[in-house]
This record gives sequence, structure tokens and C-alpha cells, in this order.
Amino acid sequence: MLKFLKKLKYGARVLLSKGGGQEETIDVAGRSTVMRHGGEGPPFVYLHSGLGESFMWLPFFQTWSKKFRVLVPTHPGFGNSGGFDQIDNIEDMAFHYVEMFDALGLEEVCLGGVSIGGWIAAEFAVRWPERVKKLWIADAPGMWVENQPPADMFRIMHDRDKLRELLFFDPKGAMASVVVKDDPDEETMLAAYQSLTVLARLVWERPYDPKLPARLCRVQCPTLLVWGDNDKLIPPAYGDAYKKHIEGAELKLIKNCGHLPMFEKESEFVELIGRFCAA
Amino acid sequence: MKFYFFHLMPWPYLPDDFHQRYDSAWVWLPNTLYDPAKGHELYREYINTLAYADELGFDGICVNEHHQNAYGLMPSPNVVAGALTQRTKRCKIAVIGNALPLYNPPLRVAEEFAMLDVMSNGRLIAGMVIGGGPEYFSYQMNPTHAREKFREALDLILKAWTTPGPFMWNSKHYHFRYVNPWPLPLQKPHPPIWIPGVGSLETIEFVAQRRFAYMGIPYFHIDVFRRVFAMFREACAKAGYEANPEQMGWGVPIYVAETDKQARAEFEPHIWHFTRNHLKGIGLTPPGYTSAKSAAAIIKNQKHFLYTKKTWSEIEEGVYAIVGSPETVRQKLSHYQRELGAGIILTGCQTGTLSHELARKSMELLAREVLPKVRKAA
Repeated sequence: MLKFLKKLKYGARVLLSKGGGQEETIDVAGRSTVMRHGGEGPPFVYLHSGLGESFMWLPFFQTWSKKFRVLVPTHPGFGNSGGFDQIDNIEDMAFHYVEMFDALGLEEVCLGGVSIGGWIAAEFAVRWPERVKKLWIADAPGMWVENQPPADMFRIMHDRDKLRELLFFDPKGAMASVVVKDDPDEETMLAAYQSLTVLARLVWERPYDPKLPARLCRVQCPTLLVWGDNDKLIPPAYGDAYKKHIEGAELKLIKNCGHLPMFEKESEFVELIGRFCAA
Repeated sequence: MKFYFFHLMPWPYLPDDFHQRYDSAWVWLPNTLYDPAKGHELYREYINTLAYADELGFDGICVNEHHQNAYGLMPSPNVVAGALTQRTKRCKIAVIGNALPLYNPPLRVAEEFAMLDVMSNGRLIAGMVIGGGPEYFSYQMNPTHAREKFREALDLILKAWTTPGPFMWNSKHYHFRYVNPWPLPLQKPHPPIWIPGVGSLETIEFVAQRRFAYMGIPYFHIDVFRRVFAMFREACAKAGYEANPEQMGWGVPIYVAETDKQARAEFEPHIWHFTRNHLKGIGLTPPGYTSAKSAAAIIKNQKHFLYTKKTWSEIEEGVYAIVGSPETVRQKLSHYQRELGAGIILTGCQTGTLSHELARKSMELLAREVLPKVRKAA
């Protein structure tokens, strides 16, 4: 019953925050790109995970938008963003974003992302360090830690219990069933398949970039690494690996949290990132 | 109308508690369950069986490619086909097929198929496949490029066989300065091309447009074949010609024994073993392996797939297999063959744990007492 109420409460918060964000479609070097944005202040770009949490203006975007101009683009190939045929690897994603920032006239931004979004942020920051004012990376792949491989999500993706088990500290909690629904409709299934397709293109052969560790010394800005202490997909050792290669980077572990801190520990996560970017 | 004898070369020695202990017969089934000494005996028997199909008068024999699994022990069907070129005299040897995106470079397929065609004195049928979903886990090949690579590789191979070399090739996934395979196939302009499929419209239209032959993979409900061949004929008509029956292959397991009762008693345990063990995990589909639309269609088709069946009457009703006395099998085969309009029947007599002796007995009855009559009626 409590779980039901919690789900209901989250649904209400989604509805309430909805009006805070606007949606538009911009042209990025020929790729039609969906972007949601809201708020005023320093530009703050959020790069989404494989879940496609950019498809809606969610409460945590709304919270940040009280301090920042929050920009939430949807990656090429996800949702209604086009250009998938031009994306073969993670570097193409980084180039997509430099072209998007050019198109929007964004000189310098606070940049960060969760999971695959965090990896894209890292690949961006090593190429165009002068355009990143603050960098944050949460629960991201991109590195390789010997004997601690990322889990094979593709093996279990059709088993909703196993998926919740993999992505959450508390797979029985309300947010686990909000994010991984029990009986998704066909539209949701197709969107999920499409998202997984883009993920597969980026990570299937090699879920990391062998060149990244040596390039991370190029990051010049303050960097915050955030990891769920119970991330079973990309274990916290990956946070350590990023920390080791980025000078001065700080690693914060969120207690009792899995791979998706923006859902499982929303307030703590939003507060950490917000404080870091505002400082 | 042509009869092809198909062999999957299954591993019949899975432990009795396989179904409880393992979630798949594919990709990650521990290979400690494989025993090379038993494997040697199996290859010997299986190759003997295929060679026997030639003696019995089947029009052709078929082998195929699967990796890291207990369902079929031919990661390289070309190796088996090579042996068969020396063990058979008359029948076609259909390799259906080589999973083109898994070969890097795909020129390897142009070379090996040319070798087989020359070695067999022009008896090769060149099957080209995208490869099953599990293969993309086993080879860690990017599934989102599978279709694009398949088409590029197919065009490259055909050009390598038909355009004097050396020539240069440049496409999105493949670049070669010197395409110049030695040897070249004996059949001109090239061996017949067969493309197996599970009913996706994309594949059906492609095969029809290119005037290749479409092989409907077995273990689906007869309704799926009805729909697929109707779609194929329509696609041919759209491409401006009438489909030739020999462009359509119907895959169906057949088992013949002295009487209906005996046939069922001998065959039934093995098809259930096969269904519950070897088919477990075959449906593993990596994201991007098909379009989202096709993925939805595949999910819908799954309820028409043998793996979900539980009773003998479901097997009979859906014609997942044709089992019975020579007369029963003759009647059913003629009936459905005429209805489907398929000019090629691909049949396996060996299923799962069925013994070599029973498989051969069934082949003999099929070849001697059924096929001549079905041919005559058609």
C-alpha cells in the first residue's frame, strides 16, 4: 500500500513539474534533435542514460531549473531525435554535442550525465575542455576495470525482475516499479527497444574506450563523480577509475543506491550536483 | 518439386536435469558439457546419415551454421560440406547458410563457397544468412549493423564471383583494394542463392526483388508458412514476375514408421526433448538486430513457435512436424505442399535424441514409399 502511495506521489510530482519545461526540436548538423529546457541562469546540460529520462520534464530537472538554465537534449536515435544513422560510436556522440552547443551559441556549460550520458560527457570534456565549466559523471561506463566487468544488461533485458535487481539497490521499492513497469504497453516497449538499440550500437563490441584513461588528464575543470554505492551494472570501482585519471576529481558515493541515483535517491543526488555546479 | 534432407547435428547428451539447471542451450551453456570423444562418434554418424540421403535419392542435403550451443554442432558448416563433397556423388549440397556479418572479411565466404562448388563439381547451393540472435552474443558482433553488413557482404560476394578481378570495393563497412578470389565457382553466373527467414517482411521483399530463393525456417505453425508464402508471391508480383515454386522452401520435420501409432511412439519423446532443451534460448534477440517493427512482429510470432507448445495435438494441429505411416505422411505432405505452393521441402528426420538407427529407418521409408508418390502427384 505504501508502495502504491509512493508511486502515486511520484506521478503527481511529474504532473506538477511538467509545466516547468518546454520542448523544442533543433537542427544539429542535419540531425533533428529534441530538447527540453527550463529555468534561467548558467547553462546546465544534462545527458541522459539509456533509459531516456529526457523524454519527459521530470521533477529533478524542475528542481535544478530554479538555479540554472537546464537543457535536456535527447541523444540521436533515442525517442524522437533523429540522426541514428550518423552515430557509430561514443566519439560521434561527443561531436554531436559540440555541434549542438555551437548551434545554440553555448560557449561554456556545466556538463554532466548519468550512465551512458556520463560517458559522453567525459568524451566531450577531453576533446573540448575549454567549453566545460564544471563536469559531473554519475554511474558511467567508459573505462575498464580488470575483474569487475560491467554486468551484461542485454542478457537479462527481457526479465523485468532481473532488470530491477540489476538497476536498483531496492528492487522492490516504489521507484523500481515506476522505472521498470510490470506491464508496459506496446508504445513503451517499442521506445525501450529503440533506446536499447542505440545503446547496443555504442557499447556492444566494447563497453569502454581504451583511449579514455590517458586522455582524461586533459580535463581542466572541477569534476565531481557520483556513484550509487550499490551500482551492480557499473560498480563503484569505475568511479575510482575515473577519479584516478582526473586530477582533483572528487568521488561521492550515495548510500543504498543502485545505478540510477536520479530515481532511487533523487533528493540527495539533485542536491549534490546542484551544490557542485553552483559553487 | 525437390526434397532436401536437413541435419542440425544436435548434441544429444544434455544432462537429464538440464531444464532445471540451465536457462539456455546457447551462448553461455558451459562447454564442459561437451565431450570430444563422443563428438567424434557423432560427426561420423551424422556425416554417414547425410551421405546416405544422397544414396536414397534426396535431391539435396543441407547443413547450417550456429555457434556456442548444443542445438547444432556446426560452427563451420563449410567444414562439414567439404567432407560431404567427397562422400556424395549426385545430390546438391546446400549450406544454408553462412552468417555473412560474422565473417571478416566476408571474402572468406566467396572463397570457401567457390572451393565447395569446385570440389563438388557444381553441386553447391550458397545460403546466406544474417545469423541468429544468439550468434551476436557469441561473436560479440554489433547487432545494430547486422542487416547493413549482410547486404553489403552479399553484394560483394556476388560481384567477386561475377566480375573479373582484381577490382576495388568500397562500401560503408568494407573496403578492399584487391578483390580477386581464387578459385571461382564452377556454376555460372554463380551457385543458386538461398536465404532462410523467419517471416520478416524486409527479408521477404529483399529475396523476391533479387530473385533468390526464400527458405522458411521450420518449427513454426503452418499458418505462419501460409502467410509467408502469400507475402512472397505478392512481393514477386510487385517486382514484376511470378514466383517460381522452387523459390520457396518449406522447412518441416518428418518422421515415418510402419504405422501411425508406432511413428508417434518412436518420435514423440525426441521432439519434446528437442523443444524443451535445444530450443531453449534460441529466441535470444539482441537489440537492433531487427527494426523495432520487426521485433514486435517476432514477439507476436513467438506464440506460433514450437518452443511454446505443450501437447501432441498442438503439434499435429499446427503441422509443426509430419509424423505417421507412409500413407499418412504422403497425404499430409501432398496436401500442405499443394496448399503452400512451395516447390522445395526441407526436412529433417533426426530430431534431438532420436537414434541414428531410427533416423535412418525413417529416411528409408520416406525416400522409398513417400517421396516418389508425392513427386508424381505434384
